[in-house]
Amino acid sequence: MTTIERDLLHTVEADSISAGRHFWGRAALWLSTLWLAASFVLQAAYVSGWITFGFENWRPVLYAYVLWAIVLCVTRVVLYGEAGKKALFVLPAALFVVAMVVFPLLFALWVGFSDWNLASLTGRKFNGLDNLRRMLSDPFYANALVNMVLYSLAIAVEYAIAFGLALLLSQDIAARKFWRVTFLVPLMLSPVAVSWMVGKSMLETRFGPIARLARWLGWENPSFFGDPLTARLSIMIMDAWTFIPFMMIMLLAGLQALNREVLEAAEVDGATKWQRFWQVIFPLMLPVSVTAVMIRVIFKLKLADIIITVTAGGPGGATDSVTSFIYREYRDRSNVGYGTLLAIIYLIIIVIGMTMLLKVSDRIVRRMTGRL
Amino acid sequence: MKVEIYDALMRCQASRRDVLRGTASAAALLGVSSVMGGIPGMAMAADDLRAQILKIPGVGKGAPTDADWQKVGELCLEPTKANVAAGEFAGVELTFMGLNNQNLHNFLFRGFLKPWEAYTGAKINWIDLAQADYNARLQQSIATGTVDFDIIEMGAPFEGDTAGRGLLDEMPDWVAKQIEADDLVDYLKAPVGTWEGKTYRVTIDGDCHTFAYRKDYFGEGSISGRSEPPKTWQEVNEVSKALIGKTDPLTGLPAYGYLDPLKGWGGFGFYFVENRATAYAKYPGDPAWLFDPENMKPLVNNPAWVQAIQDVMDLIAAKAYPSDQINADPGTTAFSQFLAGTGSMLMWWGDVGSSARTSDTSVVGDVVGFGINRGSSRVYNRKSGQWEEKYNEAPNMAYIGWGIYVTKRVSGDEKKRKAAWSAAAHLGGKDISLWTSAYPSGFQPYRQSHFNYDEWQAAGYDRAYIEEYLGSNANSYNHPNAAIEPRIPGIFQYYSVAEDELAKGFAGQYKSAQETADAIAAAWEKITDQIGRESQLKLYRASLGL
Repeated sequence: MTTIERDLLHTVEADSISAGRHFWGRAALWLSTLWLAASFVLQAAYVSGWITFGFENWRPVLYAYVLWAIVLCVTRVVLYGEAGKKALFVLPAALFVVAMVVFPLLFALWVGFSDWNLASLTGRKFNGLDNLRRMLSDPFYANALVNMVLYSLAIAVEYAIAFGLALLLSQDIAARKFWRVTFLVPLMLSPVAVSWMVGKSMLETRFGPIARLARWLGWENPSFFGDPLTARLSIMIMDAWTFIPFMMIMLLAGLQALNREVLEAAEVDGATKWQRFWQVIFPLMLPVSVTAVMIRVIFKLKLADIIITVTAGGPGGATDSVTSFIYREYRDRSNVGYGTLLAIIYLIIIVIGMTMLLKVSDRIVRRMTGRL
Repeated sequence: MKVEIYDALMRCQASRRDVLRGTASAAALLGVSSVMGGIPGMAMAADDLRAQILKIPGVGKGAPTDADWQKVGELCLEPTKANVAAGEFAGVELTFMGLNNQNLHNFLFRGFLKPWEAYTGAKINWIDLAQADYNARLQQSIATGTVDFDIIEMGAPFEGDTAGRGLLDEMPDWVAKQIEADDLVDYLKAPVGTWEGKTYRVTIDGDCHTFAYRKDYFGEGSISGRSEPPKTWQEVNEVSKALIGKTDPLTGLPAYGYLDPLKGWGGFGFYFVENRATAYAKYPGDPAWLFDPENMKPLVNNPAWVQAIQDVMDLIAAKAYPSDQINADPGTTAFSQFLAGTGSMLMWWGDVGSSARTSDTSVVGDVVGFGINRGSSRVYNRKSGQWEEKYNEAPNMAYIGWGIYVTKRVSGDEKKRKAAWSAAAHLGGKDISLWTSAYPSGFQPYRQSHFNYDEWQAAGYDRAYIEEYLGSNANSYNHPNAAIEPRIPGIFQYYSVAEDELAKGFAGQYKSAQETADAIAAAWEKITDQIGRESQLKLYRASLGL
């Protein structure tokens, strides 16, 4: 048994790869690659109408990809022996990601620059930047983007409530475990169920219990979705009710992980409760807070189900989200090309926005924790 | 044959077929000729069957259950048995795609087809869709070549998308005979259900929007102060405004007039603006009211349509609707509002009529009246570009009714094909259709035979009520100026985008009704160009019979 020189992974055996094994390994790899490339080109040419023969659908190309992936993995070992085996720890996962993430993204780009209405007999047509131009002048999309900013700003209030609840539930209160589970229940509910239970039943203007309460409190004709501001607030509250427990549980976990000695030291030093919170707990909780807020922002940017079920984006687009608008464009109007482009642009906006947000929040955290 | 005799015979394990055969044999033995005796005997048996199924569960005895649907399906199996042997479809599996609105449609079909499955040996797998998801699911299946259903419940507006692309199987002749297709009301016969001369549809529904109103709002001393319900849309708006601040005589809650749905409904909400618009825009003798048949230019921003949109905006401005009306879709206006006692006037499909008396959630069964779509005191002539001061009415045949279609997936397998068509024929049978017309089903009367008021009276319906309810349907179907929807591809895309623009208009984001209508027209132009103006124009003209 030998070890290979300069091999930090301490490979214990260096197989001697015979020339024949090397040849057949390379041959299998090249053949499978050629087959994959040929079947793809053939089918693409057939679908594009350049040739008159091809497969009935793209499935054979998928099979060629699967075969190529298997051959690629096997030939790592055939060609490189034990060193090749190391690649097998990562390669299948990488090929899976290529198939399930990279390819769909590329395909979405291809569709996004197309004029493709499912009702059109002519099918998909490449239309360059037309969809992009249309998007820039689309008032519905712009309105939905503005709404998303407003919805995202509501996270600040959600965070404050969640932090308050987390602080409360971290105290020694009676039936603490019961309250923790109870506060988590909304998170376990499907947003569609929340839409029906709360949006369509409890907020129903004639018989809904909340409407009755509002009448009892003096609101003569309660309307929770009648004007843009109230409708937007109602949606925000329903969404918050569902997701505040999520932030709360993350913050609660953070609070429980805080170093007790630091808190006790602050107490011994005579810090008031407010000083203990604002100058000790809050700064120490910032990393957890940033994580909770970031994940919440991602959830918020996908907000659609409650809107679709309760308001369909109304009144007049006041509650429309980007996702619910894309949903209508794609589903009701079968406008696949334009809908896909809107989704891609939204993805790009989210990626850029989240990156910037992370940078900014990192600076804030470092400043507040004295690391800057 | 009396029901109790039938039941007694059933208890003796005699099938209805045996009973009928026995009746005919007895008639023959008595020396009665088939013409003079046999047919009346059979007709009497059929009449008794119809009377019997109308008693399941009985008018006023609550909403029917799955057990009732199965019982009706069992009793209506005779036509199937005449064409299919017991167990003939053993081993056949079919996939059926339909709706699950208000727990009807597919829920009924399951019950109706359960005895059919037991008799034929076939098995049916179900794809249930919400109304709002239907269009997308269908379009995606078509466009991606993934039609995964053998039988589909589909409206005639989609025939352009499906039959036009060769995705449907042509209906065999025996099916037409089994379902007695000649009994359909005239407007549901060809060209509806056909494409290039071939028939593809077993009709199970006839669509038109009819006017439902609360009788306790009208008459001497009523809160509206009017002796009769409004006859025109102008009067509808007058009444709606006059009711502001008054109290509903039935519920004691605030009274309201006409219930316009102001929220979209996956495209279906546009039908409700159409109801108002047809009175203004559908000029007698001119079949075109949505698009110009010369160039496919939208008519939706002409003065007639603008008036219809303005009417709604006027009621919003007057605060004549319930407080959350901007968030009310058509389902809300019919089932959560009108049937539950909110509002006094509504346009809807005919099933509101049968649900008013038979649904558990309805409180207006005793005070509801019906009529055809309201008219207008003036009509717009698009050719002259002028309003004409004369009374006009144009019932809206919204959606042209549901039908059962069989897809090409079964075409290569004769056994499966026959099974699919047999299932479709069972659901579209003459007797079963009477039941679906009379009870909550999502379907409304669509055959000449459905307008036999004696049958309904015998079932327990109030004669005056049923004459009014059925009469409103019959008068709409047979109206010479009925507004019939074009069967062009992507029609619901036009409706969907119109809903978005209307929502903005109703929320006050456009300066006027004209601006709202112009926005709809511009969006429609884009859709027409995207789908293909030439092909759309050709299909549109064909659907108008031009």
